Amino acid sequence: MIKIKGVTKTFGVGADRVNALTPVDMHIEKGEFIAIVGPSGCGKSTLLRLIAGLEDVTDGSIDLGSKDKKRPVGFVFQDAVLLPWKTVAENIRFPLDTSAVPRSVSDAKVAELIALIGLTGFERALPKQLSGGMRQRAAIARALADDPPILLMDEPFSAVDLLTRETLNDELLKIWEQTGKTIVLVTHSVEEAAYLGTRVMVMSARPGRLRKTFKADIPQPRSEETKRDPRYLDLVSELRTMMREPVL
Amino acid sequence: MISKLRAFGEYGVALSLLLFAWWYATGPMELPHYLLPTPQSVGATLWKMLVAGELIHHQLFTIKNILLGLLIGTLCGVLLAYFFFKLPRLGHALEGPLVIMQTAPKIALAPLVIIWFGLGLTAKIVLIFSLVFFPVFAGSLAGFRGIDSRMHDLARLLKLRPWQRFYHIDLPAALPGIFVGIKIGAVQALVGAILAEWMSGNQGLGYLMTFASATYKTSILFGAVLLTSLLGILMHALLNTIESTLLAWSIEDDR
Repeated sequence: MIKIKGVTKTFGVGADRVNALTPVDMHIEKGEFIAIVGPSGCGKSTLLRLIAGLEDVTDGSIDLGSKDKKRPVGFVFQDAVLLPWKTVAENIRFPLDTSAVPRSVSDAKVAELIALIGLTGFERALPKQLSGGMRQRAAIARALADDPPILLMDEPFSAVDLLTRETLNDELLKIWEQTGKTIVLVTHSVEEAAYLGTRVMVMSARPGRLRKTFKADIPQPRSEETKRDPRYLDLVSELRTMMREPVL
Repeated sequence: MISKLRAFGEYGVALSLLLFAWWYATGPMELPHYLLPTPQSVGATLWKMLVAGELIHHQLFTIKNILLGLLIGTLCGVLLAYFFFKLPRLGHALEGPLVIMQTAPKIALAPLVIIWFGLGLTAKIVLIFSLVFFPVFAGSLAGFRGIDSRMHDLARLLKLRPWQRFYHIDLPAALPGIFVGIKIGAVQALVGAILAEWMSGNQGLGYLMTFASATYKTSILFGAVLLTSLLGILMHALLNTIESTLLAWSIEDDR
């Protein structure tokens, strides 16, 4: 589905050149939930922006396997980045409105997404009237609006409180099961990565690179039970150990 | 609602005090009327002109010029600012000359504008335009440049066409800045309109002032000044209303 071959990224020129990403190879299958975890400055967000096409690769290639689609990826930012002058419903509808989808179709889609994401009753609210968690829900709905096969999420829940974060994690898993999207989620929390991912990729900094990929052999569907599962706990501790040990 | 009523009350008290002081100066203090006409005589003169239809005519002429100059100045200011924002190289190259033009005292150039554009309407609109354009341009440019970079990411992700991007993201995002410019520009437009009418023509509130002072009709002069102030206050109130409607999203709720 997503084929990343020898992708590198450098910023700046001459003496100011910074290697943000040394060659990364990655193969992501359709329907996988990939969690990328790493310290700040490891290039995980850069990698996500490269996949999204928000930055151009310096070298290598990224194949999303969906050239025919106008918008192959949905993207969820760290903060919701909703358009503050539009209501929740208008924000979710925005990707549809800007690709000439008839109103009757988009209305049905928006209603479906609002129910899926749990924002019923807030359709006509402005972003400033919502809590951080609710804004993030709306942002996820917007990313899903024109049904992209891939959903990219850049530390989507790092700005919300812990309890909301756990609720949103469960809802994200529900959405993933219902829609069968391929999800790539960047986080700095090893618990979140182990809880959500089917595979967890650990990256390290200076220079940014992919260190190791773990298969998260934890049964689906995941729930509160999962957090007591020894396989989950093992993975968390393994990830944490790797994150803390000095990089040679 | 209550705060609005209170604002009206405060305005009312201030106006009454001013009116009382005016009356006191011309009445009990016996200031000569050719220096300061009585409020009663100004009121009577205005009423007479209003009934004759003269007043409305001058009033409308000035308002029409202001609106036209404000409209053209705003359109050009916003569009040029957008070009500067979209083409940063052009922007940086032309910003210097523009700043120099901006610092030139446009009011001092008014006689030149009359020489270049004649005694008619064109010169008036050009003068108002030159006063409106710069504040709107500066406010818009600041507004466009201040747009959150992630909004640009969103536009790229959604592969928006240039027009969609302008209409749905860039313009609304820059609107607070644009409005700062328009509000400054509107005050300038009033100054420009009156100035232009002082210099040429035989219509408008500015013409009324020069006519009245040349013929020592102080009560007409006072009436025209009062109406001009009133026009300024009305424009301010109108723009504030439009702003609070259009920009409701950007004002934090008290929660």
